[in-house]
Amino acid sequence: MIDSVGKTFRRGGRRTVALAGVSLAVQAGELVCLLGPSGCGKSTLLRIVAGALERDEGTVTVGGRTVSGPSPARGMLFQTPMLFPWLTTRKNMLFGPKAQRSAGLDERDDPELDAEADAILRTVGLAKFGDAFPHELSGGMQHRAAFARAIITRPSLLLMDEPFGALDAITRVRMHDFLLSMWDQYRTTIIFVTHDIEEAVLLGDRVAVMGGRPPGIQEVIDIPLGRPRHALDADTEAFLVAKRRIRASLTV
Amino acid sequence: MASWQPLGLGGSVAERPPLDEAFLPGEGGGDPWEGGGEQGPGERADRAGRADLAAYRRARRRARTRRVGTGAAGIVSIAVAWQIAATICKDPVFLPSVTQTARTFLHYLDRPYPAQGSPLWYDALVSLRRILIGFAIGVAAGVTVGSAMSASRVVRHLIDPVIEVFRPLPPLAFIPLFIIWFGIGELPKEVLIVIGVVPIMAVTTVAALDEVPEDLRLCARTLGASRRYTMLHVQIRSALPGILTGMRISMAAAWTSIVAAELIAATSGLGYLIQQAGDYLDTALVLSGIITIAILGLTLDACLRGLLVLADPSRRG
Repeated sequence: MIDSVGKTFRRGGRRTVALAGVSLAVQAGELVCLLGPSGCGKSTLLRIVAGALERDEGTVTVGGRTVSGPSPARGMLFQTPMLFPWLTTRKNMLFGPKAQRSAGLDERDDPELDAEADAILRTVGLAKFGDAFPHELSGGMQHRAAFARAIITRPSLLLMDEPFGALDAITRVRMHDFLLSMWDQYRTTIIFVTHDIEEAVLLGDRVAVMGGRPPGIQEVIDIPLGRPRHALDADTEAFLVAKRRIRASLTV
Repeated sequence: MASWQPLGLGGSVAERPPLDEAFLPGEGGGDPWEGGGEQGPGERADRAGRADLAAYRRARRRARTRRVGTGAAGIVSIAVAWQIAATICKDPVFLPSVTQTARTFLHYLDRPYPAQGSPLWYDALVSLRRILIGFAIGVAAGVTVGSAMSASRVVRHLIDPVIEVFRPLPPLAFIPLFIIWFGIGELPKEVLIVIGVVPIMAVTTVAALDEVPEDLRLCARTLGASRRYTMLHVQIRSALPGILTGMRISMAAAWTSIVAAELIAATSGLGYLIQQAGDYLDTALVLSGIITIAILGLTLDACLRGLLVLADPSRRG
């Protein structure tokens, strides 16, 4: 739940309003896309929800708790996979649980974690690459490894900041199928930031269109496509209708 | 609004219905989210057989062996050219042959040469000791200064100009000054190495720490790592390859300083040996001293490179 959040950046006496009065309620298990052009504050909003940026106004609550800093309950995926290059895929995945264990927050023991890591590696199709280093993986594989690393900490909310923006078009379609399939399985709530209308329509239950001066959410549009979805759904009429609707909303 | 629900992650991974068969990576089919046309760094892994990471690594290791072989051939051809030149020149004072030099090197390795009274290994050890002491102190101080500069804007602005003044100065210019201050014992040599190493290490440490992406730290924090844990296990760990590269550069600078200092003001060490041998026109011994420096330098650099490979897996193979 995001309630009338505002953020102003100050630099050298100049004030830039990055967000003003943004409110959005996201249901558990929902996949919501934040769509808008560069500089519309969508990444800023995501980082505020993550707890990486402080908000100047409003409140952000996740699962009844007010956000006050980064937390493993809110996993985050970035445009680049941000894997730790000195760790293998498996050790990348175990980074979170181990870091939490050192603070007494994760009580899973090694055999349990290993079993879960194995299961997730199989699910994301990297069973044979647990011992590979990130530089030995392809771009798509790295993103799947990053997803695996985020999911093993069992976040209730996944924040995705244009995660497939740097991939080529073909890999990107595969990653869409991957994400849809993962979401079907884990049903984690996802807030997905993108500037790609088709991506937003294909993935989202709802699309929050952002923009304006000062930047905020212009409109929230329901996507009437069924679930489970597949990349091929981009060829349906319902998809085109939704896409047109969003395009109209963006040009207003 | 969203709260944690038992969404199939509540320890019940095994109970979840399996993925559609078509999605499961079959033995032959590779994996479902990668086609054959994947572009990017991983394509190498894909081509060498994505089903077989071990084969991919073996191929990379073979490529490295080939590279080492080619490198060795380069050194051998220099030795051959030298030998031919010496044969044509026929003047062992101007240019002794490879074999003469090798003989001198082996002869004086454990026998004191007339001019000084100590064998080659002793001078090598003296120089190595100076290097290691000065290098260790310099690296420790440089990394500390660099970390402080990276952590605090005030410290950075305070120290930056100091380093910028010191960095372009050749440490050799300080030798007369250090002789006045510290005499000609061990101290001036070690101080000389330290002042050469510290600015290099400070600059490379700052660069390495600054280069760690903000998002990598945020990523660690969203995975549940505390600030402290992130600092130690992500930021510093991530900067390690850059710091080790700085150490390799510093090591080369340290050798330059120490040999120059020994040439000018010393009664032991490889620089002193070369100086003495030159005075007596024992060219083969001069070359032996130079070769000893090369061997020691290569060995130390190989150690650092080994650490670098340990710290940065992408340099393997």
